[in-house]
Amino acid sequence: MKGLHHLYLTVGPARFRVASTWQKPLDQLAVLYKDYPASPDDYADFTVRLEPEKPWRRYIRPSVHISGDYWLPDAAPLPLGQSLLAAEMGMNLQMALGWRRHLLLHASSVEKDGKALLMTGLSGSGKSTLSAMLAEKGWRFMGDEFALLNPETGMVHSFPRLISLKNEAIAAMQAIVPDGRFGPLMKDTTKGDIRHIVPPLDAVNRMADTAKPALLLFPRFGYDPVLRDMGKSEIFVRLTQASTNYVALGETGFRSLTRFVDTVPTKAMDYQSSDQAEELIDGLWSQLP
Amino acid sequence: MSQLYRAAAPDGLIQHPLDSMTLVFQRSSGITHVIADPVPAIFEVMAEEALTADDIAQRLSASYDLENSGDAADIVFARLVELCSLGLVERV
Repeated sequence: MKGLHHLYLTVGPARFRVASTWQKPLDQLAVLYKDYPASPDDYADFTVRLEPEKPWRRYIRPSVHISGDYWLPDAAPLPLGQSLLAAEMGMNLQMALGWRRHLLLHASSVEKDGKALLMTGLSGSGKSTLSAMLAEKGWRFMGDEFALLNPETGMVHSFPRLISLKNEAIAAMQAIVPDGRFGPLMKDTTKGDIRHIVPPLDAVNRMADTAKPALLLFPRFGYDPVLRDMGKSEIFVRLTQASTNYVALGETGFRSLTRFVDTVPTKAMDYQSSDQAEELIDGLWSQLP
Repeated sequence: MSQLYRAAAPDGLIQHPLDSMTLVFQRSSGITHVIADPVPAIFEVMAEEALTADDIAQRLSASYDLENSGDAADIVFARLVELCSLGLVERV
């Protein structure tokens, strides 16, 4: 990778090499990931590459093409001003397409007393914002993107990368999180405005600590607050859709997911505000065995 | 309907009942099938024997309270055709 700048990052059990034509995105990453463990060697599970789409696009209307060990052929390049987003998307992409050590669930997770609350749902369900909000209220943040399920133990492993806030969630979190933990505001991305938050220090320091999955929620923002039971068949099918590597793991994935569905209490949760969600979650949490 | 059918070898399938559905993981393909009544019951009465659709319908009638057993063989036959196409049942 001649001519590329490098940065090594460790997030949970995964180690990344981010290689970039430009130094700026690596400097931004270095600031935001400054409390994460340093890489003791040059080993990486995955490489993410941030390069110009064409050689001249390094200087003229510079745009960042995301590639690496795993890449999508039709991924559109991002403007250089969104290179931090490109790096984060690149790391997520490597995990989604390449990780095999755990069953990956597209879910946020937080922990209390050794037990994990997982939240999964479509984009806009609020799973990321809720995990960020709970992380400021006594829960340990474990991740806002992927929950890693250990096939042998059934435990959840933490993947506490930067928290990605979108649109209205940015202002909501600015009200409760100190300024020093925010990344740059990136306006008008394909998902609207995006701003990253560094997880609380406790989440970083304890990112090797696993937790027993104790509650799964399917949150849905914008509806009257209510909790609903769900059939196990529906839960199973929706989790196969929420997993990026269920098929790749074969029988191991099947056994992991059936154990999870058999043992983890699950509810669908509608809510209109984070206060409502917190109240519903506290109520459910207090009833857990 | 003298065609004989046999379920795929039990060690090639992992069945896992949930609520109203049963999951079947097929080791040979790595595919997870979600099956609903009467398919789990068909698997149960077939066990590891080679049977016709009529045999299976009769065993289902003996085990379950079927309202109109006259249609049972047709229903079983339709399900067997689907299961054969998935590799969960084979023609013998």
